[in-house]
Amino acid sequence: MSLRSLRTALGRGPSVSPFLVLGDPTPEVSVELARAAVSAGAGMLEIGFPYSDPAADGPAIQAATGRALAGGTSTRRAFELLGRIAEASPGIPLNLLVYGNLVHRTGYERFTGAAADAGASTLLVPDIPIDEATPLRRACRRSRLGHVELAGPLTPAPRLRRLAAASRFLYLAGFQGVTGVRATGFDGVLDRVAQVRAITDAPVCLGFGLSSRDQIVRAFEAGARIAVVGSHLARLVGTLYGAPADADRLVAGYRSAVLRLTAEE
Amino acid sequence: MKPSLRPRQGAFGSFGGRFAPELLTPALEELETARREIVPTRTFRDELDREARAWVGRPTPLTSAPRFSARAGLETVFKREDLLHGGAHKANNVLGQALLARHMGKSRLIAETGAGQHGTATAMIAARFGMEAVIYMGEKDMERQAPNVKRMELCGAEVIPVTAGARTLKDAINEALRDWTASLSTTHYLLGTAAGPHPFPRLVRDFQAVIGREAKRQWRREFGGLPDVVVACVGGGSNAIGIFHAFVPEESVRLVGVEPGGAGLDSGRHGATLVRGTPGLLHGARTMVLQDDEGQILEPHSISAGLDYPGVGPEHAHLQETGRARYVAATDEEALAAFEVLSATEGIVPAFEPSHALAFVLRARESGELPAGARVLLNLCGRGDKDLETYFALDRSR
Repeated sequence: MSLRSLRTALGRGPSVSPFLVLGDPTPEVSVELARAAVSAGAGMLEIGFPYSDPAADGPAIQAATGRALAGGTSTRRAFELLGRIAEASPGIPLNLLVYGNLVHRTGYERFTGAAADAGASTLLVPDIPIDEATPLRRACRRSRLGHVELAGPLTPAPRLRRLAAASRFLYLAGFQGVTGVRATGFDGVLDRVAQVRAITDAPVCLGFGLSSRDQIVRAFEAGARIAVVGSHLARLVGTLYGAPADADRLVAGYRSAVLRLTAEE
Repeated sequence: MKPSLRPRQGAFGSFGGRFAPELLTPALEELETARREIVPTRTFRDELDREARAWVGRPTPLTSAPRFSARAGLETVFKREDLLHGGAHKANNVLGQALLARHMGKSRLIAETGAGQHGTATAMIAARFGMEAVIYMGEKDMERQAPNVKRMELCGAEVIPVTAGARTLKDAINEALRDWTASLSTTHYLLGTAAGPHPFPRLVRDFQAVIGREAKRQWRREFGGLPDVVVACVGGGSNAIGIFHAFVPEESVRLVGVEPGGAGLDSGRHGATLVRGTPGLLHGARTMVLQDDEGQILEPHSISAGLDYPGVGPEHAHLQETGRARYVAATDEEALAAFEVLSATEGIVPAFEPSHALAFVLRARESGELPAGARVLLNLCGRGDKDLETYFALDRSR
């Protein structure tokens, strides 16, 4: 069902996909933020489960994860929040970003089953690369959850083809490094998108380092179908959220930030 | 074990593997190629042997310990890795990896450190080879191991405080992995223990295996035959796998790894990953992990910063699963008592880490964990200079 929403969304044209961590800054407010993002034109959402050791993430998302864990967002709670987000935004594909140990501990089958039941369309596990992903992919298939592979700036062409073939869409990290906003080097990222498009037909989702409408437009022009904005928004949450009383101001500020990313001009 | 859980690369039974982000794959593959193609060459082996003798101080002696043995009621012999350059077994591994990094054309070394011993060893080899060194160290560890921070800086390394999580070893590894993901073209991540994604557990083991090879030869020559038991402390497990490796095929030899029992196994404040952990994915490997029932990694506790780690090398998880090695725990209190006993009986001040192994030997006969008459080889993997400040601050009036 939710996989169909992914196909529909990809058919509609390029999507801006804000990333948020479930439970950041609090469980309730994170559900509000997801709703605000969709109302501001997000065509997809990328959703992280908080984990104690996010080794692929830079400071902004580490801080978001820290806020979520401090606020008591367990995996059990995260599934509940995910369900509410899916319910509030039917037809919006939800790509989960979950570190391997959470999936491994719960059990691959149980985790992917719960994710699909809660309304997720796809799952990316950044620290289970394709070579170790066979049991995970089997579980995804059984649960009717799409599996997404990550590729990087240095991934050679044959491996890119393998990743693309195993993936609902190919998640391309624009920069070599952890997640985070980058001031320079975006032209190289665009070249890489074009290069990857030439190698594979899989839809390309560009992530890592994006923070402006201008970058998003150029990424779409280069052939990306999905553009993820993560650290930029996580940082905004950290800045705007000081106390529970700030929730309304935060949601409004977050909504305008997403509007700036999706607005056609 | 479900056969499907066996990792595809670098497996030790159902443990090991390469559970690292795709962006690290190029670096890990480059390192694996170098491990296979460069390490076995004559040129590399010769360089390694030469530097091991001239700079690291190999071979280290076996020392019998009659007065300690009398206290324990078990004949105990020490492999003296505490006499190595830098004061711990860490030098074996940094020399090997730094040489390899040089062959690979890398000019920058990064490392994590807990107690500061591995950071210090990395800083020293970087100075000797004229390489840049950046050491990630938890802020809490920087406080409790201040002299080692100064020592690293003196050797020209940059020490970067890690403020995430519990600000200890686990968080320092995360930060080093993050650095490496961005810097892999110029940088080698000199991982300090036999953990992490493939090929690190094998790479580190093979550079530390000199400990057991040497000890086996020396034991034969000096005492005849083989020891009955080989004992070592286990944090990440590099000194233990180093001394175990040569003895694994010798079925008559019992292997015992001693983990940090902290304030006691039932207190929840310990680092006894093999004794009390469950299988999980941490820092690139499927291994035993201290985690909650949803997979969040727990904060370990130990008086010894070098053992304060919620994971363990995957080969140890395998040796435990197959029953080839046994793993037990010794508490902070037991380790401190053993630290005092060895100092007073043999005039050797051990590091807090091997004090855990010493504590096991001291109690093993009475507890029935080892039979009377067993001859024990113990890896004395580091000396206690770095711990003196902490020890005196405890103000133990016994």
